[in-house]
Amino acid sequence: MFIVVNGQQHPFSGPQTLAALLLSLSPPAPFAVALNEELVLRGSFEECWLCAGDRIDVVHPTAGG
Amino acid sequence: MKGREIEDQLTLYGRSSASRLLLGTARFDSPSLLAHAIRAAEPAMLTVSCRRQVSSSKDSGQSFWNLVRETQRPILPNTAGCLSAREAVQTACMARELFQTDFIKLEVIGDEVSLQPDPFGLVEAATELVKLGFKVFPYCTEDLVLCRRLMDAGCEVLMPWAAPIGTGQGPRNAAALRELRQRAPEIPLIIDAGIGLPSHACQVMEWGFDGVLLNTAVSRATDPVCMAGAFATAIQAGRSAFLAGPMTVQIAAVSSTPEIGRPFADGQLESARTVDSDSNCRLPAQAFL
Repeated sequence: MFIVVNGQQHPFSGPQTLAALLLSLSPPAPFAVALNEELVLRGSFEECWLCAGDRIDVVHPTAGG
Repeated sequence: MKGREIEDQLTLYGRSSASRLLLGTARFDSPSLLAHAIRAAEPAMLTVSCRRQVSSSKDSGQSFWNLVRETQRPILPNTAGCLSAREAVQTACMARELFQTDFIKLEVIGDEVSLQPDPFGLVEAATELVKLGFKVFPYCTEDLVLCRRLMDAGCEVLMPWAAPIGTGQGPRNAAALRELRQRAPEIPLIIDAGIGLPSHACQVMEWGFDGVLLNTAVSRATDPVCMAGAFATAIQAGRSAFLAGPMTVQIAAVSSTPEIGRPFADGQLESARTVDSDSNCRLPAQAFL
């Protein structure tokens, strides 16, 4: 089973919260997260359970015009 | 700060600034150049974006963000690259969470070659974002009807292009831009995209636009720091000229020095004189008949 993190397949072995996934990924702060193209507020990571096939996007600040 | 600067501030969604320059942060050769350009430009706002982490670097975005925060300038996140209203709304929500601001520079691109804004997608996205509590800065064309629709949607600022993004061509449709300014006097208009030279920026400010958003014209200059300062000066000059009220253009020459009392003019005609370009001597017009 897989989930997709920033467009890349990522092994997924069972029930896991978004918070647990982010702990393993340890993205540098600051970041924002979308699950299946919907924003997940930072206070909701613990209650957000992932399923196989879910798509997670983690974004960071970057330069822009 | 001078008294006049306090009186003449740019106010966008209740946030005021003495500066009328908004600066993009992209395409600088180094963070140091960006930092120095920001200091030289003293911009009212800095535009930023959000992207997925593209490298294995653990620094992803962190040093950039620290640099921007140290400037203590207000942040205007964008939805650059979005090709639909839905994508733009999703990106705006991510940007609000990331940057902790309701301000959003709304870009919905309709043509991937010219990067021309999609007017239909813009209105759709702006309507939704205003409902979600965003303060929307739409990057749009100079089309009057589109601008009205964006105002109807709740946009309190409009950002028409001068020319396609990154081209530096300067205002391509001067008549339409000036008409837009005249027909929509009540809303702040920021020229966004296509400016290449300080003279372009000065020109649109003389027409009464409220500010200019720049990026490539500064970041891709040979000396971005010097160019940032040049743009800041030009924008201020254009604004001062607009406030000063330019003279009315005349079709025919009007002598600035009084004709009455001119010495050595006895017996010559007092009117209709012209200049011989070869000898640089003033001669009566009749001499050429």
